[in-house]
Amino acid sequence: MGEVPAIEAVELSKTYRGGVRALVDLSLRVERGEVFGYLGPNGAGKTTTIRLLLDLVHPTAGHVRIFGLHSRADGVEARRRIGYLPGDLRLPDRPTAAEYLASLSRLRGTVDVTRRDELCERLGVVLDRPLRQLSKGNRQKVGLVQAFMHRPDLVVLDEPTAGLDPLLQAEVRAVMRETAAEGGTVFLSSHSLDEVQHTADRVGVIRSGRLVDVDTVEGLRTRSLRHVRVTFGDSVDVDALGRLDGVRVVAREGATVRLNAPETAMDALVKELARHTVVDLVSEPADLEEIFLELYREADGAD
Amino acid sequence: MPTELVRTGIGDHRRGLLAWSLGIVGYIALIAAIFPSIEGSPDFNQLLESYPEVLRSLFGLSEGTDITSGPGFLDVELFSFMLPLLVLVQAIGAGAGTFAGEEDAGRLELVLAYPVRRRDAVLARGIAVAAQVLVLCVAAGAAMLVLDPFLGLGLARENVLAAVSGLAAIGLFHGWLALGLGAAVPSRAVAIGIPAGVAATAYLVNGLHAVAGWLDPFRVLSPFWLVGSSPLQTGIDWLGALIVVLAGAVALAGGAVLVERRDLRTP
Repeated sequence: MGEVPAIEAVELSKTYRGGVRALVDLSLRVERGEVFGYLGPNGAGKTTTIRLLLDLVHPTAGHVRIFGLHSRADGVEARRRIGYLPGDLRLPDRPTAAEYLASLSRLRGTVDVTRRDELCERLGVVLDRPLRQLSKGNRQKVGLVQAFMHRPDLVVLDEPTAGLDPLLQAEVRAVMRETAAEGGTVFLSSHSLDEVQHTADRVGVIRSGRLVDVDTVEGLRTRSLRHVRVTFGDSVDVDALGRLDGVRVVAREGATVRLNAPETAMDALVKELARHTVVDLVSEPADLEEIFLELYREADGAD
Repeated sequence: MPTELVRTGIGDHRRGLLAWSLGIVGYIALIAAIFPSIEGSPDFNQLLESYPEVLRSLFGLSEGTDITSGPGFLDVELFSFMLPLLVLVQAIGAGAGTFAGEEDAGRLELVLAYPVRRRDAVLARGIAVAAQVLVLCVAAGAAMLVLDPFLGLGLARENVLAAVSGLAAIGLFHGWLALGLGAAVPSRAVAIGIPAGVAATAYLVNGLHAVAGWLDPFRVLSPFWLVGSSPLQTGIDWLGALIVVLAGAVALAGGAVLVERRDLRTP
């Protein structure tokens, strides 16, 4: 038997009632044992994708398989193998974390109690106070514990480190890495690149309901955006540079022009520059944060 | 069947249920305590007979009701309006809250992301609602049986059982209707509003069908008519009560089927 991927989405579309197209023909493969970062601005369709994986909403077209299990037809079996942290975690008011986690363990049926207690200790979960009295960060820890406590084959996390301090963020990243190292798969949704770049093996970028890019973090970095600084020896029509596909004029200071250009536009840009007297030319890769800001900006432009 | 969802469906509301039970027991004790001062005053029967028929009919004063007897007094004062109302409010609240309410609050998302079939979740919560209704009705019945020897109410044990069973049937029907609707349509407002409207309409149909002739054919649709309205004096229509419970079960099953087809609402 060939290796069945952890997640396989095939031409997945979701149009909500009222006509909102949250997801359009999304195809995606997440392999076993990897941490997959799922990046996009708010409202891009990340949470819709996750809700489709868990069969909380039904696709308008296409389908998802989790370890080969159909998300709808074999939903219970599929969810048995998933641990999930919702992006907007809502917990009951009265029970303590200890009571609540015990209840969820009974509901799940297959919880490794040692693992659960170890996670509680590691994240410093406040076990003995009613959940409504806990801070957002402390509630988030409860959500994280229940997502990992049954050693799931696939962990789906929607903005997992929201509300956590940097130390805990690092701890959560460590738990994710360990899960992957033990053969588990992590699907990590986030709008923050910082959260993803230290953890993920591969990154999928979604905008306006479409998957626009899937690559390794390093791959995205090398083939993406360049900062270009050109100093001209003659007068130049800056607007003409801005009309080149993908090129954006960031600033002009006297004879020096700063541009952002994707790798794909470099050839055309250099040829355009060559028509002028060039005193100096610097090109350097943008850092990841900027690459994603650029991707998001395009998303806004597309709508 | 996820028994944990039965457990949390009851456990999360145990304080509320305790308060409801104490309230209903207190109300019964209050009403029953008035009885000794009415007992053996035939004037009351004459007063009530002078009422217009519409009022008599609405107050559940059926032909032959002797309000100066314990069973007659409690039938009129408790079972004609107040007890059904209290049980209905509790049952509809529980039915609407346990699924539609949880969904509104965003707390259903994590539960349904667990290896739980949605329809089983609805049925588990149906059991929890039934348990709450039964606890309340048992509390009411126990209160009457305990008070009886002290106040000389003269209640027949089997009629008390029948009366609270009829009450439970009414409660189950509306509670399950509320739960079923809340599962089929993601709206707490619908899950409360429709059963409340159904109950009010059915109550009026039962109260007025005798005086407003055009309502008469519709009486068979009223759970109150099906169960019967002087339970402590004459017992209940057990077949009617069974039909009422089955109708509730159908509403619950309908919700359990329809919940599979829709999207879970985002809070």
